[in-house]
Amino acid sequence: MTEQEIKSIIHLAINDNFELQGSDEKASDDTVLFGSNSSIDSLGFVNIIVGVENQLKERNIDISLVSEKAMSRKNSPFKTVKTLVEFIQEEIEQ
Amino acid sequence: MNNKMNKIMVITGTSKGIGRELSQYYLKKGYTVIGCSRSESELLHERYEHFCLDVSDEKSVEKMITDVSRKYKKIDYLLNNAGIASMNHTLLTPASVVEKIFKVNVLGTFLFSREVAKVMSKNKWGRVVNFSTIGVPLRLEGECIYTSSKAAVEMMTRILAKEYAGMNITVNAVGPTPVKTDLIRNIPEDKITSLINRQAVKKMSDHGDIINVINFFINHKSNMVTGQVLYLGGLS
Ligand SMILES: NC(=O)c1ccc[n+]([C@@H]2O[C@H](COP(=O)([O-])OP(=O)(O)OC[C@H]3O[C@@H](n4cnc5c(N)ncnc54)[C@H](OP(=O)(O)O)[C@@H]3O)[C@@H](O)[C@H]2O)c1
Repeated sequence: MTEQEIKSIIHLAINDNFELQGSDEKASDDTVLFGSNSSIDSLGFVNIIVGVENQLKERNIDISLVSEKAMSRKNSPFKTVKTLVEFIQEEIEQ
Repeated sequence: MNNKMNKIMVITGTSKGIGRELSQYYLKKGYTVIGCSRSESELLHERYEHFCLDVSDEKSVEKMITDVSRKYKKIDYLLNNAGIASMNHTLLTPASVVEKIFKVNVLGTFLFSREVAKVMSKNKWGRVVNFSTIGVPLRLEGECIYTSSKAAVEMMTRILAKEYAGMNITVNAVGPTPVKTDLIRNIPEDKITSLINRQAVKKMSDHGDIINVINFFINHKSNMVTGQVLYLGGLS
C-alpha cells in the first residue's frame, strides 16, 4: 500500500468527521488529530482511528492501531496525519 | 439497513448452557448466529458458524471479528454470554482462580465489545447485551470473585453505553437468578434454595426468562434503553 493510499484513507476518515460535525474544514497532512490545537473532539478522534482501521481491514491489512507500544511512545503516532501515515507504514512493514 | 432476513448475531460461550439455548432460539428466529467457545460446538445449522477460541485472547478475538465482518459485512447484535464461576470462600480461593475469572468475564466482555463495536460503528447501529448475576445486588458471600467480576461487567456496561451512544449502539446487561447449567452444578441444593428465598419471585430462571429480557434490549424500539442492568426475580 502506497503512502498516498494510506493518506487518502486517513483524509477520508477526517473529512467524514468534519462533515458530521457540520464543519467545512478539510483534512491536510498537517491536520492535528487531538489535543488543544485540534478542531477534532475526543469522540471524533476515536471515530477517525476506528474508521481508518476499518478501511485498512477492508483492504486486507489487519493491523491494530491501538497497541501499548503506540500509546507509550514519547511522540504520539496519532498527533497528525503525517505521523499517523508513518506509523501505519511501520506497522504494515512489520 | 437492518433487514429482517439478514440479522447477524455474535454470541460468546455457545457450546453449552444458556449460550447454546440462545443460539438455538435466534437461529429459529431466522438470524445468522456466530458463536464461540474453547471447545467445539455440536450445533449444526446452515446459519450457524462456530469459532474455537478463548474469549480472553486478544489476537483470536480480533481475528474472529475481522473474519465475521469480512464475511457478513455487519454485526447487529452481540451477546457477551461466555462466563465462568468458582464458588468458594475467599480464604480458600487461589490467585490463579481470581485471574482466570476476571480474564474470561471481564476481559472477554471487554474484547468482544471493543471489536464488535468497531464493526457496528460502520452501520451506526448495534445492540450489546452483557451478563451479570443477582449475586451483585445480593452481595453474595461465597461468590466474592465471580460476583466482583460481574460488578465490573455492570460498570463496563454503564460506561460503554455512554461511549457507544454516539454510534447508536446500546449496551445493557441481564442479571439472571440461578439457571440449571454446568455453571452452578457444584453448588449444593440447599445453597441454591436459600439464594432463591432471597428473591421476590422465589424461582430459578429458565432460558425463556433471559430471552425475554434480551429481546426487550435488542428491540429496534429500545433506542432509549441503554446502560441498564435488569435483574430477574425482583432484585434491584
Ligand atoms: N447458570 C446460572 O445460574 C447463571 C446465573 C446468572 C448468570 N449467569 C451467566 O450466564 C452466562 C452463561 O452461563 P451458563 O450457566 O450458560 O454457563 P455454562 O453452562 O458453564 O456455559 C458457559 C459457556 O461459556 C463458554 N466459555 C467459558 N469460558 C470460556 C472462554 N475462556 N472462552 C470462550 N468460551 C468460554 C463455555 O464453553 P467452553 O467451556 O467450551 O469454553 C460454555 O459454552 C455466564 O456469563 C454466567 O455468568 C449464569
